[in-house]
Amino acid sequence: MLAIKELYAGYGMVQVLHGISIEVPQGKVVTLIGSNGAGKTTTMRAVSGMIKPSAGRIVLAGRDITGKPSHKIAKAGLAHSPEGRRVFPTLSVTDNLRLGAYPRLTLGRPRGDVDGDLDKVFDLFPRLRERRDQLAGTLSGGEQQMLAMGRAIMLNPEVLLLDEPSMGLAPLLVEEVFRIIRALKERGVTMLLVEQFAAAALNVADYGYVLENGSIRCHGPAEKLKNDPAVRAAYLGQAH
Amino acid sequence: MDVLSQLLGSGVAVGMIYAVIAFGYQLTFATSRTLNFGQGEALMLGALVGLSLVGHMNYWLMLPIVMLFGAVQGAVVERVAVRPAIKSKSEFGWIMATIALGIIFKNVAENIWGHDQLPFPSPVSQTPFTVLGVHMVPMQVMVIGGALLMMLAVELFNRRSIYGKAFVATASDLDAAGLMGINTNLVITFSYALSSMTAAFAGVLVAPITLAGAEMGAVLGLKAFAVAIIGGLNSGVGVIVGGLILGIAETTTAYYISTGYKDVPGLVLLLLVLAVKPAGLFGKTVIKKV
Amino acid sequence: MSMSATKKVLVISGLAGLAMLPHLWPNPYYVHLMVVIGIYAILLLGLDFVVGYVGEVSLGHAALFGVGAYTAGVLNFQLGAPFVLTVPAAIAVSAVFGLILALPALRVNGPYLAMVTLAFGTIVQILINEMTFLTNGPMGITMDKPSFFGHRLNSGEYYYIVMALLVLTIVVVHRILKSYLGRAFEALRDSPVASDCMAVSVYRYKVYAFVISAALAGLAGSLFVYSEEYISPDTYSFHLTIQFLLALIMGGRKTRSGPILGAIIIVMLPNVLADIGLFRQIALGLAAFAVVYSAYGLARKRLSPRQVAIPLAFTVGLSVFSHRISDITDYRLTIFGLLILFVVYYLPDGIMGFLRSLVQQVRPQWVRRHEWILDKGDAEHVWAPPDHAVTVKGNLLEARGLVMQFGGLRALDMVDLHVAKGSVHGLIGPNGSGKSTMMNVLTGIYRPTAGEIEFNGKIISACTPSDIAGEGIARTFQNVQLFGELTAIENVLVGLHHTYRSSLLDLMLHTRRSRREEHEARMRAASLLKFVGLAELANEEAKNLPYGKQRLLEIARALALNPSLLLLDEPAAGLTAPDIKELVGMIQKIRGHGITVILIEHHMDVVMGISDTVSVLDFGQKIAEGKPAEVQSDQKVIEAYLGGGAEQQPA
Repeated sequence: MLAIKELYAGYGMVQVLHGISIEVPQGKVVTLIGSNGAGKTTTMRAVSGMIKPSAGRIVLAGRDITGKPSHKIAKAGLAHSPEGRRVFPTLSVTDNLRLGAYPRLTLGRPRGDVDGDLDKVFDLFPRLRERRDQLAGTLSGGEQQMLAMGRAIMLNPEVLLLDEPSMGLAPLLVEEVFRIIRALKERGVTMLLVEQFAAAALNVADYGYVLENGSIRCHGPAEKLKNDPAVRAAYLGQAH
Repeated sequence: MDVLSQLLGSGVAVGMIYAVIAFGYQLTFATSRTLNFGQGEALMLGALVGLSLVGHMNYWLMLPIVMLFGAVQGAVVERVAVRPAIKSKSEFGWIMATIALGIIFKNVAENIWGHDQLPFPSPVSQTPFTVLGVHMVPMQVMVIGGALLMMLAVELFNRRSIYGKAFVATASDLDAAGLMGINTNLVITFSYALSSMTAAFAGVLVAPITLAGAEMGAVLGLKAFAVAIIGGLNSGVGVIVGGLILGIAETTTAYYISTGYKDVPGLVLLLLVLAVKPAGLFGKTVIKKV
Repeated sequence: MSMSATKKVLVISGLAGLAMLPHLWPNPYYVHLMVVIGIYAILLLGLDFVVGYVGEVSLGHAALFGVGAYTAGVLNFQLGAPFVLTVPAAIAVSAVFGLILALPALRVNGPYLAMVTLAFGTIVQILINEMTFLTNGPMGITMDKPSFFGHRLNSGEYYYIVMALLVLTIVVVHRILKSYLGRAFEALRDSPVASDCMAVSVYRYKVYAFVISAALAGLAGSLFVYSEEYISPDTYSFHLTIQFLLALIMGGRKTRSGPILGAIIIVMLPNVLADIGLFRQIALGLAAFAVVYSAYGLARKRLSPRQVAIPLAFTVGLSVFSHRISDITDYRLTIFGLLILFVVYYLPDGIMGFLRSLVQQVRPQWVRRHEWILDKGDAEHVWAPPDHAVTVKGNLLEARGLVMQFGGLRALDMVDLHVAKGSVHGLIGPNGSGKSTMMNVLTGIYRPTAGEIEFNGKIISACTPSDIAGEGIARTFQNVQLFGELTAIENVLVGLHHTYRSSLLDLMLHTRRSRREEHEARMRAASLLKFVGLAELANEEAKNLPYGKQRLLEIARALALNPSLLLLDEPAAGLTAPDIKELVGMIQKIRGHGITVILIEHHMDVVMGISDTVSVLDFGQKIAEGKPAEVQSDQKVIEAYLGGGAEQQPA
């Protein structure tokens, strides 16, 4: 569904990614793990058009989206729930979610049943339904994360990018986030997941890539990576 | 007392003009963190285009045409002066480029309409009347009403329509708005169009009071900036209160001290506010993350 | 620092040429133009401090110029004061106005500051107009050329005074800008945060830049009165300010030649524009140049058709336009505005910058954007004792009950931190747990909502970042904060800013003391670069270094502060495995020299390998502290790191 080929990207003169290739097959969850500064978030940003890659190709559902501006990539069916949540604090929960469906608008008319999808999101996140008219800025961190995920789902995306959905959340809420990721997976949503909690991410994912200094160090089925001692030592927070 | 109430009336009217121009600054600042240093020239062009049109048509037909002209002019400013500078992340670039366009507009206006201050016909009667003990000229009432209406219309658009919400989203987080499929470049262009449109509208409103001429924009633009700063660049109520403070301070200074000094209180207030509370009286101070 | 022979010849022939000019070209009109050029050049050299070096837009320089002019004019007109008094007075008064103008600059920058300077300019113009009792209002003031010992100078003689002062200004400005002050100005432009954390107070140096700049504007203003023999308020308008800015950016910022070239252009421009025939020729010349340059660029594939389309259309259009109109004076300002647009987008480095890049393509070795510093460092010059000796016994740093609240988010929640003298103290925790906030609170970038920090026996929680740096706390940044346009060694020299004692006068006169200090600092800087393994890259611009090297450069720069406490914020991020090994060795050496280290790091093997104590943050609270092994086996820590349900994980 999503194919990244030999991608190079960075900020200004600083090259962060040195030719990485990742495949995200339809209906699968692929996770990207690695230490801070390895280039996980940069990969996500390059895919969703927040930064322009300097070389390489990104193909979404057979369409080349390399270097396109992010609003076009969103229209092509890619949703990105960014690191740090980035909800719109001065808009209500419902407005945030409706904006998630913005790419489905053509001349003010939505494609498909936006209200129905809104209901489905509220079913998935009952907390958000309770707070539908509250301003997003007044939500707690966990609720904002649910809103960010819900907003991304509103696009009915071909591929969903989740960047650090558990960041800054209490353990109980982290479990909740992973429960939702599982639920989405069961619905068949294709996902690329970046997580600092590598073990939890590998538990939910089908396949994993390990990034190190902007290159893929190894990749394989999640089960296999989970039991790789080197991976555990470096990324699961345990000493040798 | 009589004098004071007259001063109050004209102070409020002038203040509302400042508020509406300041509101224009807020619009572009919200979406792109940039300001049009030629905002005063947008106002001047609006007034002069209006003046040329009003001889050939009904006043109320002229208004929307002037506003359309303002919107196009704003879009041009954004495309020529702002977008390239945003792309190259050059603050110096957009400041200088908007100033340059302002100079060009002014010079062109001088060549078309001459250097003189021209009278602008008032659409309403000139006889003063009294409301709540305050002497007002009908034109002043129209200025106040028009300015409020304009700001209200834009606010309503932002709150009610999905495109307005896209505007708010772009203002609060450009990157995240892009991820929502919002064409943020277009929104920024749109904010400049809106901003210049309000300025052109303000130009037509104020011209019957101040006369219209190529020179009229510069000081108005600067003082409206003072209002935007005094009120806070992110506060809607702030610009109205800031406008009123400045408008009244100015008319009283002009009357009690000298008309020559009438521009001073606003500018001094600007310097003071920036030195003491840069976020403005109503603005929220934001702690910059490192 | 000795001048090369060719340079000497150039300078001497330049001076001789300057002296001969009025004889070669005795027309009084031209002599007067040259005087005005000289005066503008002095002002532009000053403007460059604010615009080129500090990177702010000043729209108030015409007013400062006016303040100088009126100070001299009024003193002469009202009191009959002589030239030798009026000129210093003008410099002093303008400098004071520069100080006033700089006060809002302490709080704001960018567009705000530009507007402030514009407001200042407008106020000054109003005051000059209205304070008739002093300034004679719109009538203006008439006066004569200065006289010395009863001899009134003619314009030819006055030319020599202006040129002598111009040469003097160039020398003084050049010396200041090449010194530690010049580096401080550039540093605060590139990264205000990092400047403050290097004990270079952004506030103070911004004020210095404005004051120096205003003083030169005052000098220029006073010279201008004597040259014109008449002043009136409308001279010092917004348009003059814009002319100055255009001249500076068109000539070229951050050079000495740029302001002079810029002054020549804006003084000659009205003359060119007055003569339609000449203007047509110039427009044609420009168009021809643009066509040739674009063709060359296209042929060499250096430029794309898109890039050349607009300038080409513009220059050709200008040429056509010049033939369509009969009188250009009415369109002067339009041409002016177009020039600004053109310069902003196509000549951002000015004509001098453009010429330099042209030469660089042909003869790269002729062009150096920076002074090459070739001092060789050695191992013994790496270390120096801290400026404030560590007197405290026990813990060097004590943070008690720190709270940092951002709106609804409590980034730090009653955190205590005790850092033992001479230790390496690891600080770990998941993303968003408050580690970086902690760094920023410790270095004064954030003021804590509650709690206090005691460092070396002193409460520092209410101090500014630059004061805290001065006390001996140095840091690196998670998002690298180098001074991008300075070279690697210049970055380290900014860190050594605190070692300089030379006064402004020392710098102007280039005294022995200032030379000695500079020499010692360069030696130190080279040694520090060698220590972090960047000796080969000393003269590279920091922004061109690879990411990993940039992080190492930050460490060298931090060590230059002679800290007693060094905060390292994720130093290993982006480093390769062998680099990390070297980094660990470096940190051990740093501790070996008695410097206490606080280390934030995600590479567990690094933290656990070298820390004496490790504190763990989660949700802004300290959840564990102790020896590395203890912390690693702490159930709370494992949970925080592994996230939701550690029990799900296979052991």
